[in-house]
Amino acid sequence: MPPPLSPVLRVVSFLLGLSLPSFFSPHGHGLSLDGAWGRSAFAQGRASQVPSAVPPPPAPPQVLPPQLQRAALPRDAIKRLKSGDPAQIRSALDDVRISAKAGAPAVPTIVELLARGMPADVTEAAIDTLGDTESEAASAELSWYARHRDVAIRRSAVQALARTRGGVAVNALRAGLSDVDPAVRGLSATGLGALKAKEAIGDLFVALDHKVGESSASIGLLCTLDECDRLAAKLGSQPFGVVTSGIDQALFRFSADVSDDIKLKLVGRVRELGTGEANRFLRGVQAKWPKRGSQRVKQAIDQAVLATSGSPGAGGQGEEGKAP
Amino acid sequence: MKRQVVGAALLVFCGSGGACGAGQTRLSLLSTEWEDDGGASIGRVWQRVGSASIPQSADVVVGIAGQADKIIGLPLGGGSQWAFAHRLDARPVVAGKVVVGSGSGEVFALDAHTGGLLWRLPADGGALLGAGDDGSMTAVTLRRAGGTGSVLLAVGHDGKTIQQIVTDKALGAPAVLGRMVFVPWAGQYVSVIDADSGDETARVTLRAETSHAWTAGGALWFGENTFIRFDEHISDASRGRASMVTLPVRELPGMPKVMPSGATPVPAQATADDKARMYARPVGAAAGAAIEDGRFYATYFRIAMGFDASAAGHESKQGGTSSGRPGRVPSSAEPGKLLWVHLHPADLLGGAAAAGGIVLCDEQGKVATLDANTGAVLTQVDLGEPLEACVVNVDAQSAAGGLAEVRPLAAQLADAVLADDPQLVVAQRMLLRELVALPDETATKALVDLASDPRTSPDLLADARTALANRRNGASYMVAALARHYDFLRDVLRAPPVGPIAQALGAMKERSAASLLAAHLLEPADTDDDTMRAAAALSVIAGPGEVPVLRQFFGMYRAIAADDDIAAAVVSVGQALLTVDDAGGRALVEAAAADATTVAYARERLQAMLSETKPSEVAGTNDAGEGGKKGK
Repeated sequence: MPPPLSPVLRVVSFLLGLSLPSFFSPHGHGLSLDGAWGRSAFAQGRASQVPSAVPPPPAPPQVLPPQLQRAALPRDAIKRLKSGDPAQIRSALDDVRISAKAGAPAVPTIVELLARGMPADVTEAAIDTLGDTESEAASAELSWYARHRDVAIRRSAVQALARTRGGVAVNALRAGLSDVDPAVRGLSATGLGALKAKEAIGDLFVALDHKVGESSASIGLLCTLDECDRLAAKLGSQPFGVVTSGIDQALFRFSADVSDDIKLKLVGRVRELGTGEANRFLRGVQAKWPKRGSQRVKQAIDQAVLATSGSPGAGGQGEEGKAP
Repeated sequence: MKRQVVGAALLVFCGSGGACGAGQTRLSLLSTEWEDDGGASIGRVWQRVGSASIPQSADVVVGIAGQADKIIGLPLGGGSQWAFAHRLDARPVVAGKVVVGSGSGEVFALDAHTGGLLWRLPADGGALLGAGDDGSMTAVTLRRAGGTGSVLLAVGHDGKTIQQIVTDKALGAPAVLGRMVFVPWAGQYVSVIDADSGDETARVTLRAETSHAWTAGGALWFGENTFIRFDEHISDASRGRASMVTLPVRELPGMPKVMPSGATPVPAQATADDKARMYARPVGAAAGAAIEDGRFYATYFRIAMGFDASAAGHESKQGGTSSGRPGRVPSSAEPGKLLWVHLHPADLLGGAAAAGGIVLCDEQGKVATLDANTGAVLTQVDLGEPLEACVVNVDAQSAAGGLAEVRPLAAQLADAVLADDPQLVVAQRMLLRELVALPDETATKALVDLASDPRTSPDLLADARTALANRRNGASYMVAALARHYDFLRDVLRAPPVGPIAQALGAMKERSAASLLAAHLLEPADTDDDTMRAAAALSVIAGPGEVPVLRQFFGMYRAIAADDDIAAAVVSVGQALLTVDDAGGRALVEAAAADATTVAYARERLQAMLSETKPSEVAGTNDAGEGGKKGK
């Protein structure tokens, strides 16, 4: 369950016509995250619900309503944070969350609260709030909490670190790949992709070999030529859905990041499988291929769909097959 | 003297193929109505055959292979390996220079050196119990078909039956000397039967469980777990004054026996009893009887162990005096002390103690000779195929060979307790206690390894952790272990034994370990107990360098301690902060003690701690406590 929101926040939510629990929570579709992050494990709710392999189809990036983007931090928020009264602290944390990045001035105070220690529920709210501020200044304290003995707190901290960014966050998430909790490992893997932590790609491959399926999508977001090929080479040895969650990410990256040649190679790797699930995956890519996307890649996808359409379990012809 | 004729059927008759001497019915034979004659009859036998030379028996390994239908022989003193195909219904035995077996309704004897068949006779479904041989005649006892009563056969090497006695008594394994058959029965008697006449010419009552008679080292012995020598003191046996030697009593895994009962057939295929065995070789001595080399041995599946038997109980008359008081030979050695441990590649099925060592064979058909003093492998030979069971007989042969590298006992013990083999756990627990008793740092390292290995069984793990906490050396190994953390990606799936190590390092005031211990405070994979003990140790050894981690831990858990262990850790860390954090440790602790959100367990103790320590008293006094539960 997402953290409870204060009455004030609920009113604002009502006025804005938003579904706040899914909108503000870092567990919902991230307001400021790119499409890939929105499709990631974080988008699936609590860490316990993190998928082991395939992220859902890409959703259109959500745009932060202007009213909310400009929500200023109430003047007394920091004072309430310092009040020592748990109720006031909670209400102030809600205000900071509404302010999102604008809540950055409250970060040092929240960090200090966390360092001093609070009950579990307020601690989790504070961690989530720090994530919403996307302030790198929070990363150091969050990295401590990413090693907390309470697994729920650890999961929250890892999710928040993926938003506060910075070298400290990357290091903490890399450490999180070795966590004793599978969900923390998965969240850390997803977070490293979101942070574009290219230096972690080696760790992500190791994690993938250790059945941290979320690593695949992050590798797809970060890989260069050889690395993308290395990911595709996992087809056959790793679950299809796990590997293609990464290939999917790579195919939809800008050509400047991943060249058409690499994408053609990836499509070829999937096509070579000649299985029904390969056909279904390719049809999915075909269906969502941007109109302005590379026609050369599009053509390869179309041909691959055709070539695999007769495979057992393919479930019908592809788009191009229907209307050549 | 009252004598009663035993009514139970007892038949003495000649076999069909041989000439009987004076075989006839003797109702007094093996009678339970017999009254002890004070050693008179056995004394006469000693006078008659005591000076007779007892030939050495064969040095041979006999393997049972296939489906217990193949015998493989390997003479140890030189000679070719041989094989003999015959179904077996009981374990073969080596008697003198022959190998005797039974199966498929017959009993047979083979030349131990060549495997050549000497003779075979119908056994009428009887299963072999034991055999003795004096070089010209073999005495064999069989359990009768149906399980009650026994048969004693005396057979010449030419295959002619000299005597056959059928009785309802449970006979044991016999020996032969001067055409006299010494046959144990009823657990306490040895009757001497004239092979030619079939008469029971003497009997002796022994004061130790006896189901075997055998020759070794030029002497005749009786016993089962005690060795009683047939010598000039045998006539005092019923008064407990025979020359005898017993092995020291000590803890051994699997409660092994020196010999199985001779009154029950031993299965042709090895059982767990064969894998948990004791071995020792009695020798004649000035004191009457002693144990060869002062060593006895035990096996437990893949583990062989050597022990000091020099203080074994020697009970004998001294120099034929009539004082008759059993004497215990004084020894400065520790009776039963473990001297070495050998971890073998495969389960050990059988063996025999020899002069200078022990010969053991395993289920893979390998035969190894181990040095009596070190356990080092002296020689190895191979029977060439896996075995179902194995019998080893060594008499003249001495254990000798090129001594391999001898590892210290601590290292040998470490190898044994670290072996990844669940069936060894019982032995490993005993050996762990031996290891713990050693002052070597190697022992500490082994304990660290054992407690860190995810394959270690839970029982052994608990013992290892307890022992590790009480170590007071090997700090470098402990510190090295603390550098490891749970690491999923690097396949480190068990955290090091932080708690026991912390307790030991705290007791040793090992301040160099403080930073590594502090790092474990924030290791979620460590157990609550480990965290608590790490914190307790840090209250003793932490320095200013640990303040940031101590503060962080204190803040993170003072209001979220999930249980009393973590709350105790908070208190210990508070104690450490009071000691080493001049800049604000006391203020931090005071604030927490006054804050209602601090968990009650910790808050109460922090308040008590603050009231007991004034600021001026705290600095530099972090010597108190010894870790562990101190925080509680």
